[in-house]
Parts: sequence; structure tokens; C-alpha cells
Amino acid sequence: MTRTFVWILLLAGFLAGPLSVIAPLPPLASPVIAAEGAPPGESLGNESDADLWRRVRRGESFMLSDPRLGAAVLVQSEGEEWRSIRNGPVSRYGGILVLVGLGAVILFALLRGKVKIEGGRTGRRIPRFTMLERSIHWFVAAVFILLAISGLIILFGRYILLPVIGPSAFGAVASAAMQGHNLFGPLFIVGLLVMLFAYALDNIFQAADAKWIIKGGNLFGGHAPSWKYNFGEKTYFWLVVMTGLVLSVTGILMEFPGLVDTMWYLQVSTIVHATAALLVIPVAMGHIYLGSIGVEGALEGMTEGTVDENWAREHHDLWAEKVMREMAEDEPKGAAKPAPGAAE
Amino acid sequence: MIIVEIIEGPLWYLAATVFVVGVLWRIIGILRLGRRTDLSVPRAAAIPGAVKALFRHLLPHHSFYNKTKLHLFAGYLFHIGLFVVLFFAAPHIAFLEERVLGFGWEAMPRWAFIVSAQAAFAGLILLWFRRIADPTMRQISDADDHVGSWLTFIAMLTGCLALQESNVSLRALHMLSVEIWLIYFPFSRLMHAFTFVLSRGYTGIIYGRRGVTP
Repeated sequence: MTRTFVWILLLAGFLAGPLSVIAPLPPLASPVIAAEGAPPGESLGNESDADLWRRVRRGESFMLSDPRLGAAVLVQSEGEEWRSIRNGPVSRYGGILVLVGLGAVILFALLRGKVKIEGGRTGRRIPRFTMLERSIHWFVAAVFILLAISGLIILFGRYILLPVIGPSAFGAVASAAMQGHNLFGPLFIVGLLVMLFAYALDNIFQAADAKWIIKGGNLFGGHAPSWKYNFGEKTYFWLVVMTGLVLSVTGILMEFPGLVDTMWYLQVSTIVHATAALLVIPVAMGHIYLGSIGVEGALEGMTEGTVDENWAREHHDLWAEKVMREMAEDEPKGAAKPAPGAAE
Repeated sequence: MIIVEIIEGPLWYLAATVFVVGVLWRIIGILRLGRRTDLSVPRAAAIPGAVKALFRHLLPHHSFYNKTKLHLFAGYLFHIGLFVVLFFAAPHIAFLEERVLGFGWEAMPRWAFIVSAQAAFAGLILLWFRRIADPTMRQISDADDHVGSWLTFIAMLTGCLALQESNVSLRALHMLSVEIWLIYFPFSRLMHAFTFVLSRGYTGIIYGRRGVTP
């Protein structure tokens, strides 16, 4: 009889071991009451199933009977809140912001048209960007465009692409976008830091910027004074730097989730990451338009490294005067100045 | 699915054949040109001159360094990155073992593979930008240079997009772009991957005989 009892105990212990691991819920009856010999709650126990599952849904931690598993959260409740924010206001208002940005560029193009060089081209060129400056700019630009496209697919693909191309093709596109985004992200961080050091000095706000603001720049006619970069360009530069740093830090957290010990940081990172991107992408569209086809002669600075003298006078007069004065000072001395746009 | 089967089957064999035959045809063609008879008395041995030139030109001459440092940096970044990805990434080794060589070797860790791919992308972007932005490079570049650069970029990009290795169509897209690249290779300046040895060696032989190695 005693041996049978021992066998039953051993069998119970054997079964209870694994079962305890997969039974993460807290005991329904209070251990105190149970210890005092009181019956374990009412007909449904001390807590109804609905109350119990409500606690589970709220994301409360439960003690597992196996101490190796530690505290366990059955339902990551913040995840649901994160999903509702990401797929709700961030996607909705972010999408609207991108469309508004695109619409503003189209509207500006239609109303203002191409900003021409009023005095016409002189044929005389002055150096604007070195090869190194241009390389950094185009490197960051190329990576930014790849990241923006893949990021927009990740955020909006399910609303725009999925209904059009179907789940199978969208699965491939989404996977490709995610892999591309993860691979190019670190390149953006490197490029951004190099760009920050290469361009920061000329982008510090100056007194002339106040006059530029008062006159509303050159975009709506008239003339506004400017050094190498005008107030709008400087603002865009610092916006790219600030949002870029935010994107970099949050991107690193998402790419290396092991760096943080709670999901909360990752959830906040995705929201902040998407928000920063959705702030800078519409402004970048404006920058791309003005820097390429919107303003006559602007693109040459970034492709050839030189700009027309009249373009420089009309858009960056203070800088142009300084550069031309330096060139004039060098000339009589016979100083060998590198050919405009030459490789450095 | 039939498209995927064609890409991974007959088209792969066609591309590989064109690549191998084309490269051999070009190299044999260059070697058959021979070299001009040099009647002068050699001051030094020619072959050591060739070997010396091959290695000395891995770095630019001091006086050219400042002019070429960006090119040098981007060039090494791209070529080393691409070489490492091509021959030491686990999926490539598995493919070469299964479809080409019949044997494999140790793959590098995934993080190193990713870093190498990023280095290759960074280098290629910088090199292509230099090609269009530098006035001299722009003058001496033609359509072949740009097509070669873009085909390489697309092959690398499709490979990066298929990194998850979970989608047949993404893998097929990468293979298709690589096959186009392989077919284009022998007829383009991408051949410099092989011919740089011949051109440097040729110059090295000429100058080696004269007892100087530029």
C-alpha cells in the first residue's frame, strides 16, 4: 500500500513537472484562503474566467510555476496599442502629409513655373561644390531615395499595393522592401554623419537669413540676399540632419532589437521612425523639385560642380561676391586654381 | 512557375556558357596578338617587371594620390566588397557547390556578408557618381560603362532584396539579373576583371626590359 502511494506520488510529480511549465496562469484560488482550509472560491473560483482573461488581455504578468521561465506576459497588450497607433493616425496623417507635399510641389510648379535665370546665362562659371561635397550629397540622396521607397512600401503597401497585386506578389515585394531597407539603413547613417561634417559650417544660420525670410526668398519673385545656402536650404539641411539622426537611432534599435530589454523601446522606435520619415519625405520632394527642374541652373552645381555667374548672383549674391572676389585676387598672382568642377 | 524554371534551368546554362566561352575567347584573342619584337638589349628581365607592375599599381603613384583618393577608396570598397560577397556568402557557396563546382567551402558569418554587401553598394554608388561628375571621367565614359555599372548594381540590388531567402520569385529575379550580367560581361569593359592582369603585365614587360617599373 505504501509502495503504491509512493508510485502515485512519483507519477503525479512526473506529470506535474511539464504541465506546470505550460500552465502560466496564476492560481485561481488565493493561496492564503487555501491554506486556511477555506473552499477555493465560489462556484467559478475567486475570479471569473472573464476577469481572468481580461487581466491576460491587459498584459499583466503571471508567475510561472517553473522559475526558469520567470514572469510571463501572455498577451503583449502594448503591442495592440502600438498597432492601432501605427496603422491608425501615423499611417493616416502621414499618408496625407506625403500627398500634401506632393500636391504642393505640383501646385507650385503649375503656378510659379520654372524659376529662370533672369539676367540670362553669362557663360562664366564659378565653382560651387567640390567633388567630395557632391559625392557625399549624391550618396546620401541615392540611399535616401531607396530607403524612402522601401519604407513607404513597408508602411503603406498593405493599403495601396496589396489590393492591386494580391497577397502572393505583395509578400515578395514587402519582403524585398524590408531586406533592402535593412541593408541600406546603415549606409544612410554613415553618409549622414559625413554630410553633417562636410556641410554644417555653411549651414549655420546668419543675419542675412532674416532678410531672406522677410522677402520670402526668390521663389515668389523679387530678390533676397543669401550666402552659400539660403534660409530654406539651411532649414532643409537641419531637418534632414535632425530627422536623420532620429531615423538612425530608432533604425539601429529596430535592426538590433537585442540592444534593449523591453518591447516598449522597439514599439516607440517604429512609431518615431515612421513619423520622422513622413516629416522629411514631403520636404525632400520639394528639395528634389527645386534642385532639379524647378530652378534653372541649380542642378549644375551638384552635377558639374560649377554654376553660372548670374545664377549665383541672383540666388546667392553674398556668397557669389565673396567667391568672385577671391577668384579675382588669385588671378593676377597667376595662382593655379583648379579648373571648375575638376576632381579633387 | 514555368518562368522560374526557365530562369533557373536553361537560361542559367546559356548564360554560364556565354560567360565562360566569351571570356576565354576574349583572353585568347588578346594573348594571340602577341607582343612587338623588341630588338633592344634588355637591361633587366621582363617577367619580374610584369609582376612588379601588377602589384605596384595596386596603389597610385604619390603624385596622383590626392587626385585619386576618392576613386581609390571607392574602388577598393566596391571590388573587395563584391569579391567577398560573391565567394564567401553562404547562399552563393551553396549555389556554386550544387550547380557548378561540386564542392564548397566555409562561409563567412551573416553579419560579415551584410557589411561586405553594404561596402560594395557604397563603393559602386560613389564610383558611378564619379563617372558622371568628374569632367575627365565623363568625357572618356560611354554607354558601355554605364550599362556595365547599372547591370552590376541591379544584380547586387536584387540579391539584397532576396536576402530573406524565403521567396522563389525574388531568387529568380536575382538569378535573371545575374544571367543578363553574365551574358553582357564578355562583350563589355566588365572584362577588366580579367584583362587588368594582361594590360598591367604588358606594360610591366615593356618597362621591365628597360630596367624601370613605372
